[in-house]
Amino acid sequence: MIEVEALAKRYGSFTAVRNLTFSVRPGEVLGLVGPNGAGKTTTLRCLSGIIPPTSGSVRVAGHDLSADPVSAKRALAFFPDEPRLFDYLTVRQHLAFVARIYGVADHESLATPLLQELELDGKADALPGELSRGMKQKLVIACGLLHSPSVMFFDEPLTGLDPLGIRRMKDSIVRRAQAGAAIVLSSHLLHLLEEVCTNVLILKKGEKVADGTLAGVSAQFSNGEAGVSLEEIFIRATGGSEG
Amino acid sequence: MLGALLYLRLHSLRNKVVQRVLRLRQPKYLMGTAVAVAYFYFFLFRRNPAAGPSSALAAQAISGVGSVATAAICAVACAAALVRIAFAWIAPADKPGLRFSEAEIAFLFPAPITRRALIHFRLLSAQAAILFTSVLIAVFFNRSGYLGSHRAIHAVGWWIILSTFDLHMNGTNLTLSRLRETSPHFRMWRLGVVTAIVAYAAALFYSGIGRVSAYLSGPDSSQAAPEAFLRQLSESPAFHWLTLPFRIVLSPYFATGPGEFLAALAPALILLALHYHWVSSTEAHFEEGSIAMAEKRAAAREAALRGEMPKLGGSRPKARPGPFPLAAKGPPEIAFLWKNLLSMRSALFGRRALVILMMLMVWAAAAIGPLSRGGGRGGVVAPIVVVCSAMVAGYTVLLGPQIARQDLRGDLPNADILKTYPLEGWRLALGELLAPTAILTAILWCTIIACSAAVDADGAIEWLTPGIRVTVALSMASAAPFLCLIQLIVPNSIMVLLPGWYQASRSRTGGIEMFGQRLIFGVVQLFFALLVAVPAAGAAALVVFSSQWVFGIGPSVVLAALAVLAILSSEAVLGLWWLGRRFEKFDLSTESK
Repeated sequence: MIEVEALAKRYGSFTAVRNLTFSVRPGEVLGLVGPNGAGKTTTLRCLSGIIPPTSGSVRVAGHDLSADPVSAKRALAFFPDEPRLFDYLTVRQHLAFVARIYGVADHESLATPLLQELELDGKADALPGELSRGMKQKLVIACGLLHSPSVMFFDEPLTGLDPLGIRRMKDSIVRRAQAGAAIVLSSHLLHLLEEVCTNVLILKKGEKVADGTLAGVSAQFSNGEAGVSLEEIFIRATGGSEG
Repeated sequence: MLGALLYLRLHSLRNKVVQRVLRLRQPKYLMGTAVAVAYFYFFLFRRNPAAGPSSALAAQAISGVGSVATAAICAVACAAALVRIAFAWIAPADKPGLRFSEAEIAFLFPAPITRRALIHFRLLSAQAAILFTSVLIAVFFNRSGYLGSHRAIHAVGWWIILSTFDLHMNGTNLTLSRLRETSPHFRMWRLGVVTAIVAYAAALFYSGIGRVSAYLSGPDSSQAAPEAFLRQLSESPAFHWLTLPFRIVLSPYFATGPGEFLAALAPALILLALHYHWVSSTEAHFEEGSIAMAEKRAAAREAALRGEMPKLGGSRPKARPGPFPLAAKGPPEIAFLWKNLLSMRSALFGRRALVILMMLMVWAAAAIGPLSRGGGRGGVVAPIVVVCSAMVAGYTVLLGPQIARQDLRGDLPNADILKTYPLEGWRLALGELLAPTAILTAILWCTIIACSAAVDADGAIEWLTPGIRVTVALSMASAAPFLCLIQLIVPNSIMVLLPGWYQASRSRTGGIEMFGQRLIFGVVQLFFALLVAVPAAGAAALVVFSSQWVFGIGPSVVLAALAVLAILSSEAVLGLWWLGRRFEKFDLSTESK
């Protein structure tokens, strides 16, 4: 579903991501972890077609992101860490706009339960300026889920959500993965990754340090110890330093 | 208190200058500065004896025109000041306050400083800006020199004008704040003041309009000396007394010598002192209003940095229905048109925008009314309509794309989201450009309608039959959307090509380098306007010239329009394709580094 081959991204002489190869199959949730500046957000932005990679290839739902970006993007949804919304569009108008862009014919029947699920039904006619940060985040999620994407990229998905929102978000990610979606999420909240992810990819200074199932990566860095937490694995894998 | 203020201002100024000098290492600022310096040198400072009023005749002619122009400028400026004061009373802020920056509020409001000291801080802060502005205006606008005065006199004159107005607005805000706090009849007070202002304006208008009408409709109006007419007008007792407050404020600026200046200075300073007393003695809680003002200005600055159109009054956005029902299926470009029109609604149809439009219409009617009575309608009004329409059309084509920014430029902060949409670049670019294209096209269509009705209103041109008139108008109207679209592609291309330049130029920090950058953008816009228009105009002229002998004027105009449409649409398609490709490859994270 997501196939990444030798992905690299350079900014002038600085290499943000180098030679990254991995894949995420339907039903899998890949946790992208790494210290600050490790290249997580750059990777997610390359995978979702926001920025062009310097080299390498990305295939989303069978479509090459460079050769056929429109088909690839039709299958994906990107959820940024900072909710970016249109100041003059209400919650309902945001959904109508996104529905037109993605050609979702019956968006109103889809939008209503989505707004209820995200507890935004009482704010359908509110502008972003009237919403809290958490509600804005929920609106971004609603917009992203409206076209039922089969591939999802979450950049710090829990930022700004209340405890109930965090619980619902986690459930939602797991449910959509069980329904066959391929999901990549980046987060510093390692307990979230332990609860939600099937696989993990650890980045350091733009390079892959470890990749595989949670159990596999744990085995790689546990040195034979039992019950080593992901936090400990992360610290061992990255050497406990900045990206 | 004064020491703290001086410390703040001097250190801020020094750091600002150092920062500006240091950033000249970047080519975009260096080039902007070089262009701006060259502009000021050639157009403002460099004296060209050949172009100046060297002969006595030329000086006399300029003096005559100058006195009328000066009187007209003064009348417009005073009317604008009156409208601004009236507006403060008609639609006061929920919490009227004084202008402080957010940092000043954060540091000074909790500090052990009296409210009166805060007012003085605000007044002294304003003085720094007013002094700088006064000197700058006196230096830059004294070049033509027809007022025959000294730069120092002009600088002091400007200082008095700006300081009096600043004090008056502060006094008004404090008084409004005080009345809101203490008086149960706040609305009645406002109604009373607004009624007084309207009565004053009406009295002023009727005391002068009779003489203006008589002058314009008189048989020898073209020969009458403008100075004599102005003297006559000022000798009217009612007009003389009614304009006294404004004349006191303006007189030092218009003094022609030191003696006259000193004589005019005394009453102006007394009026200034009265205003100061009004402001400093008004006890009012301005803190909440000042905080609201600072937040509003910060939000406006943020919006400007996002490339949005400045909002009249800076009100918070309101939820509104879409401009038209948006169906779920159909071309996605329409969704962008729908979204961008929706975001422009408050600026286009807001209450304050409508009030200003109505005031402009009243002003235009008041100006055109006496003219139309003076001569035949076609003879006097029609040329004015044609010239005004042509000017509006020119500004729309050249400056409109810089003002109507609800396109890719406005959505730059959302570029991440836009790039995840499953759309080819050209479709996204087209969608984003549709709303400003529609707005600019609508304005152009209005000017075309006005021009086509007013050109040769007396029917002197034989071949300009109603049929030809309509054909030409329709041909021009059909080309207008393409012209606007191409003109909008230019600044959007600059933004995608040189986002660093674009972001620097849209920031509101000002400075000579910003002025230079805007000049460069203006020249680029003009260059592309010519590049686009010249082939189309050439083709149209060629077609009309070669085919009118065969088909007649009407069909040849239609053929020319088709040729123009073919050229403009090809240019637009090419431009959209290129812009779309650039946006697809656009990597803001690279550019912002």
